[in-house]
Amino acid sequence: MTRVRAMVIDDSRAMRLILSRIVSQLGFEVTEAGNGREALDKLAAVAEAPSLALIDWNMPEMNGLEFVTAVRADPRYRGMTLMMVTTESEQGQIVRALAAGAHEYVIKPFTPDAIVEKLALLGLAPNGAAA
Amino acid sequence: MTDHPNPTEDDLQMIAEQVWSSFLDPAGIYPLLPALPGDPVPSDVSAAVSVTGAWQGHVVINLTETASRHAAAALLGIELGEVTVADITDAVGELANIIGGNVKSLLPQPSVLSLPQVVTNAASTYWPAVVEVCQLTGVWIDEPVNVSVLESNVDYAGVSSS
Repeated sequence: MTRVRAMVIDDSRAMRLILSRIVSQLGFEVTEAGNGREALDKLAAVAEAPSLALIDWNMPEMNGLEFVTAVRADPRYRGMTLMMVTTESEQGQIVRALAAGAHEYVIKPFTPDAIVEKLALLGLAPNGAAA
Repeated sequence: MTDHPNPTEDDLQMIAEQVWSSFLDPAGIYPLLPALPGDPVPSDVSAAVSVTGAWQGHVVINLTETASRHAAAALLGIELGEVTVADITDAVGELANIIGGNVKSLLPQPSVLSLPQVVTNAASTYWPAVVEVCQLTGVWIDEPVNVSVLESNVDYAGVSSS
């Protein structure tokens, strides 16, 4: 059985680990990237894009907003659910991210339950099954 | 310098409590406790993010080497003895990023947050042309912790505005 895949994009290894643990426990198979550019490279190298990407905002090379914009402009990734997970908490930033195509927005610090609840709202239920 | 309500020690306390309960002490066993008068300000490991735009300055977290090891171990979910300098740099930098981002939300907009810069084995750090807006000093696992918000008093042209 093929597991549902997720990508965690954050320049902090610690934060990638924390988020990877949370989505792994939900049944996702996780790949990681340290910035938006690396994430796009990894997407281009796989036959099927992951269902979900958790994306930091402030990263070197390519930030999270630029990544969201690039993904939304590419029809190959139409099915990806994009969730920003970032310390940027101003209303204007949230609006920009959602307008660019992010589906959800989580502000750091967060609890695992907050991530799980947001994923459930997006129809990505525990154990990787789409609701 | 700008004319606006500044973040306060209470704001820093609230942000720190959220960071500790989310990442450093989710079980509620080792909370960040208030410091006692005369407790030293640590300087072994210092991480900072800079804010530029409508407000300019820095948010700095200072830890002892021991506290920074505990922070890295907690964030990465590894044993204390396994922690490397790279782990400390990553973990303390992310703490500065999270605390700094939340402080930025209290400041005039628009502004931009820098990537974190981390200094390890620092005897001291010096921030020129700043005034301290507020600071939080605490104790975590018997180790002092300090968070400071420093506002720049130099404008873009490098001219002192104070």
